[in-house]
Amino acid sequence: MNYRTIIVETNRRIAETISSTLKKAPDFEVLSTYDNADSALGQSHIYNPNLFLIDVDNPDLLQMLPAFVDLFPNATILATMSNWNADIAYKAQKSLVAGCIIKPFKPEEIIDTINLYARRGKPEPSRIISFFSPKGRSGRTTLAALLALDIAKKTKESVALIDADLQFVDLPIFFDIEPRHTIVDASHDIRLLTPNTFAPYFHEITDNLYILSSPDRPEYAELVETKSLIEVVRMAGHVFRYLLIDLPAGFNPISLEVSNFADTNFVVAMINTGLEIEHMRRTLDMFRERRKKNKIDYPIFTRVNPCTDEERAKLELQLGYPVSVIFPNEYNLVSVANSGRILYGLPKDTVMMKTIDSLANRIISGGL
Amino acid sequence: MAEGRNSIIISIFSTSSGNGKTVTAINLAAGLANEGYAVCLVDLDLQFGDVTNYLKLEPQYTITDAQVALENKDPNFDVRKFLTTYKHSNDKGNSIEFSVLARPPFIFDAYRIEVPVVEYIINSLKYFDFVVVDLNAAFSALNLAVLDVSTIINYLGVVDFLPSVKNFKIGYDTLIRFEYEESKIRLVENRSNSQKLISGNDVERLVGEKFFHRLPNDFRSVSQSVREGLPLMFAAPDSALAKSFAELAEEYTGKSKTAPPPVIKEEKGFFSKLFGKFFN
Repeated sequence: MNYRTIIVETNRRIAETISSTLKKAPDFEVLSTYDNADSALGQSHIYNPNLFLIDVDNPDLLQMLPAFVDLFPNATILATMSNWNADIAYKAQKSLVAGCIIKPFKPEEIIDTINLYARRGKPEPSRIISFFSPKGRSGRTTLAALLALDIAKKTKESVALIDADLQFVDLPIFFDIEPRHTIVDASHDIRLLTPNTFAPYFHEITDNLYILSSPDRPEYAELVETKSLIEVVRMAGHVFRYLLIDLPAGFNPISLEVSNFADTNFVVAMINTGLEIEHMRRTLDMFRERRKKNKIDYPIFTRVNPCTDEERAKLELQLGYPVSVIFPNEYNLVSVANSGRILYGLPKDTVMMKTIDSLANRIISGGL
Repeated sequence: MAEGRNSIIISIFSTSSGNGKTVTAINLAAGLANEGYAVCLVDLDLQFGDVTNYLKLEPQYTITDAQVALENKDPNFDVRKFLTTYKHSNDKGNSIEFSVLARPPFIFDAYRIEVPVVEYIINSLKYFDFVVVDLNAAFSALNLAVLDVSTIINYLGVVDFLPSVKNFKIGYDTLIRFEYEESKIRLVENRSNSQKLISGNDVERLVGEKFFHRLPNDFRSVSQSVREGLPLMFAAPDSALAKSFAELAEEYTGKSKTAPPPVIKEEKGFFSKLFGKFFN
């Protein structure tokens, strides 16, 4: 591919460096260089460019990104920054640019970045979905895994499962994998990473589904600061279009902060002795008191028997809150997850899988 | 009783919730009380503990009130003020009584509970022969502090699901790595005879340690026990599970011939040290 490039860069010296680097690269052609948005927006179209490199260290240029996206819908627009800044990167992403790249960069890094963001999917901010449970053994991790698989399959966009239940390792067993990196490495290194260098920390499970696993020693959990974990999630939002985050059980700094940061939080409890309804009620009460006003937490009950509308109405009456989804018991699923066959052996055409399917559709359509 | 006697502290711990810690804690406390011992059951699953829900108790005071009294340096602090008594007798003349230290009423209060306060409170429960502590499933500072002062760690596992087996082993290895004596850790398998793909013997091989006790699977009796708010010895007295809990209690009281006598904890003098550190 021939990249017909326009450089919009406030710093003249940096503009020259980028320009001379790209001129030497076989796939790049530098059409013009501008130091302000107005000239670039007014003049670039006569060159028919297909790539813009726009300096977003300059707040004026950051603000004008939507105008570039509007005016040049067929060009790839990359926001360039001197250091990774999650706030600026998020604003760029909200402007629907293709992606962000850190200066200085080599020509091949531009291509890698374009490919990374192409793999990611639509140039929109990521959906961040967290899975909270008052106590463990709620079906929370299984639900996250099944939804991630289904969303990846349906959208063809890239999906990451992030295992933030740091003390206990469940997800790698479901998929029968042994990831090389864990969330401990990622949160330790995050300040030095860019979306490009961060992507290999994720283990590829299937075509467009990836996992960032928790460590295999409970005490390593202490090495993960909540603040760093949020940075991990924010940068992961530039590598993946969907982030599904499995939280540790109960209220703790990680589960509170991450579920606050997520756009959607599911609260998952498994019906067993019946005391779980009380746990759910107390959890939702706590969230109602402590959350930002616009945040909704969606309660989900698993292993509901019989899994009917009447039963759900009964649960709602006891709970005092609407129940978003109920799942039946699916014994086969336990043996599938047990034997690491979650990719291949899911029990099709069951109420369980149909409920997953419908929940995935609601997430993808933005209905949740 | 003679001076210098210390309570035997049995903590009920696991690496996964929903595998019967509270059921075990309550029925072990009931079993020990039934043998005539003075027992206090402490619910340290501070956010979602179910001891009072299970026993249908409405405590007037909880651990939060005890913390407030300690923070206010109440000169008359007596931990017994904050306990709730559980009593039950049936028409066959069986009766038990034990004390409960309830969890905070609100999750937000649970967040405020300080580790040194809990250590202090546990050590203040010297009036009891046995203190049974129901923990939550995590390697938290609070749980480790309680495991440190425990005479026995009753490490409970349901080993029917591969992630649970892995976490059971990881949890055991972690306890050993944290230098808890193997003699102090008692592996207890719950729902040992349930239909499952992994046998308890395989788990023993994996962990490298034998189960100290096996509790049979009996969902029906447990449900009935929770529904009625009664320990199994009353709710399902003839069930195998009720008998198994009675045996577990006997093993901890030294009645059973096969079990070694419980190790009596040494007084290390940290009681007063802690008081000084925290309140002065």
